[in-house]
Amino acid sequence: MSTAHPATTSPPRVAVVTGTGLAVPGLTLPDELLGTVRDGGFDPVTGLVGRDLRHKDRASRLALRAAAPALRDAGLLDGDGYTGPGDTTAVVVSTNVGILENVCSFADTIARDTVLGLSPLGLPQTSSNVIAGSVAMAHGLRGPNVTLCNGPTSGLDALYWARALIVTGRAETAVVIGVEPAGDIVTKLLGTPALDGAVALVLESAAGAAERGATVRATVAGCARAADLAGAVARAGGLTPDLWLTEAADDPAGPRANAVLDPAAALGAASGALGLLQAAAAVAHLDEHGRHTVLATCGGPEDDGVAAVFLTGPHHTP
Amino acid sequence: MTWDITGMGAVACNGTTPSEIFDALCAGRDGRGPLQVFDHDKYRARNAYEITDRARPGVDEPGRATRWLITAIDQALADAGHPRDLAEVPVLVGTTLQEQRSAELWWRHGTALDPADLHFGTALREEYGAARTYTFANACAASLYALAMATDLIELGEADTVVVAGTDAIGESAFGTLDRVQNDVPDALRPFDRSHRGMLMGEGAVAVVLTRAAAPGRPVHARLRSVGVNCDAQHSTAPDPEGITRVLRDAYRLAGAAPEEIDLVMLHGSGTPKNDSTEAAVLSRIFPPGSGPLMTAVKSMTGHTLGGSGLLSLTMAVLALQRGQVPPVLGLTDPIEEAEGLRLVREHAATAPQLTLAQVDAFGFGGINAAAILEAAR
Repeated sequence: MSTAHPATTSPPRVAVVTGTGLAVPGLTLPDELLGTVRDGGFDPVTGLVGRDLRHKDRASRLALRAAAPALRDAGLLDGDGYTGPGDTTAVVVSTNVGILENVCSFADTIARDTVLGLSPLGLPQTSSNVIAGSVAMAHGLRGPNVTLCNGPTSGLDALYWARALIVTGRAETAVVIGVEPAGDIVTKLLGTPALDGAVALVLESAAGAAERGATVRATVAGCARAADLAGAVARAGGLTPDLWLTEAADDPAGPRANAVLDPAAALGAASGALGLLQAAAAVAHLDEHGRHTVLATCGGPEDDGVAAVFLTGPHHTP
Repeated sequence: MTWDITGMGAVACNGTTPSEIFDALCAGRDGRGPLQVFDHDKYRARNAYEITDRARPGVDEPGRATRWLITAIDQALADAGHPRDLAEVPVLVGTTLQEQRSAELWWRHGTALDPADLHFGTALREEYGAARTYTFANACAASLYALAMATDLIELGEADTVVVAGTDAIGESAFGTLDRVQNDVPDALRPFDRSHRGMLMGEGAVAVVLTRAAAPGRPVHARLRSVGVNCDAQHSTAPDPEGITRVLRDAYRLAGAAPEEIDLVMLHGSGTPKNDSTEAAVLSRIFPPGSGPLMTAVKSMTGHTLGGSGLLSLTMAVLALQRGQVPPVLGLTDPIEEAEGLRLVREHAATAPQLTLAQVDAFGFGGINAAAILEAAR
């Protein structure tokens, strides 16, 4: 049961990352977002098949293929299925154009063949929350189920809300997914080739992770959305980052960091998945540099807001 | 812990303010009509609960969901005496279809579409300078989910005041796939009646201003006691009694209220046989037969306003508590078996001056459930 808004004052709950997973063409592990090179990697042609994906929309398929390795990485998935607390596990999905291809092609079908030409199986695919529902059903995750379609910052906004769900006690664990399926209609709308992939992180309460002996990979130290970069960074805690993950490295208002990187630069427009690709890259960095602090930011002056998230390594000391 | 509701705004097919909508509901006046812009030859259903505001009748236009959202927020801010400046105020918008209708018009008819206008933050930044904005695409539980998350923001100390809203305009793909799937073709939304033949969509937007505690001297419409949220994780479109029971128990527990204390239930009541039988069966197990709370279902007159529907029900509950009046379920003459022990208001509005606690249900595709508990401010 959730314990939202406990009346007693107890130590503040903290959200930590315990797993990451990718379903991004050509990639296997998040350290490849930082430059590590491996052969092989995810191939949508062979990776998006299987009984469990039958009748599912493309975004749900990609999301499921990222969620499973993230849960396995967190030690929460074995041969019998999900081993965590189903009633208090949240799913938080970020996607901006996850169902755009379906929506537009269904309208085409109606114009051509009337509604009788539509597949009845398409009904859930007209609502963006189909993805979060698919992930919840696949693993029996019965906690809060949230879908953010929040523009360029959406991925980091998903982390903000996953953290909030854990800190308030509405959830003990959260599977956070950024997913954007590519297609001709998406390319036409965005005017540029788009990512065709998904990324997942597993967040849980620090206390819960400690109790089950899970390896903490990072702490979600601060999250915010604000009108501009400086405001978002300050509201998220204003820490001094060792690494800044951003698409806007040349922003003069940016923080001073030893290193600046755009981990999704080679992947096409990542849209709602961007912030979570940055977060997965941050965790990979913190796996190697446990004392570091990483800042991820999405959105810029041309957007309706900027989001910032600070992730700190397991050996970080404030 | 409670939160004060200090402002409300809404537009729907049968009214342009919360008060107008409530009066229409009490008078049994719906906003149903023939499909205004969709090609009738392409659909089985002929009716919906649309807002009649298109500049050229019969010709659709983009951006309507966003336009109503701004209208509803403007009303709520004015009602709360809050300036039209939300630079520091989070705005949480629940929606099923976002600006999907604008995407369809772009794809099918070549109207302009900026990807930035698919979510509502862009318009909220332009109108109110708001940047802490979040568009939640949480199907038909979306605006109550947003309300739950607004209470969390206040509890976390992230804000003292939050604007919570919901909005949806009907799109062809959503209306069409529903039309394809429903066994029967409903000409009206008739929740809990044996004649119910399915859901029909409605249009509208709704907004409330939620604060930690109203400023001294400011009127409080009602106090929010809790919002529970969860997911069935069972089926992509069908409701699950276990998940609904769990979310209601969670809402009672968070509110510190027993089911016996509930005086009024705003039902989800979407008019699909599956929803109605499931929701009625769950409530029949929670409340004593024949002597439980009064119940009503506003979708019988507004249609299913999708993402905003839960918050629209909540604003109507606020007015019911204030005015001691409960609108009827329009068209309810012969309740389904599962609803026989429920005190559904029929034919005429019920007069009930002593209502104190109201429960609001909202369930959505993907098996997501939300329930709010509201207390009269007296």
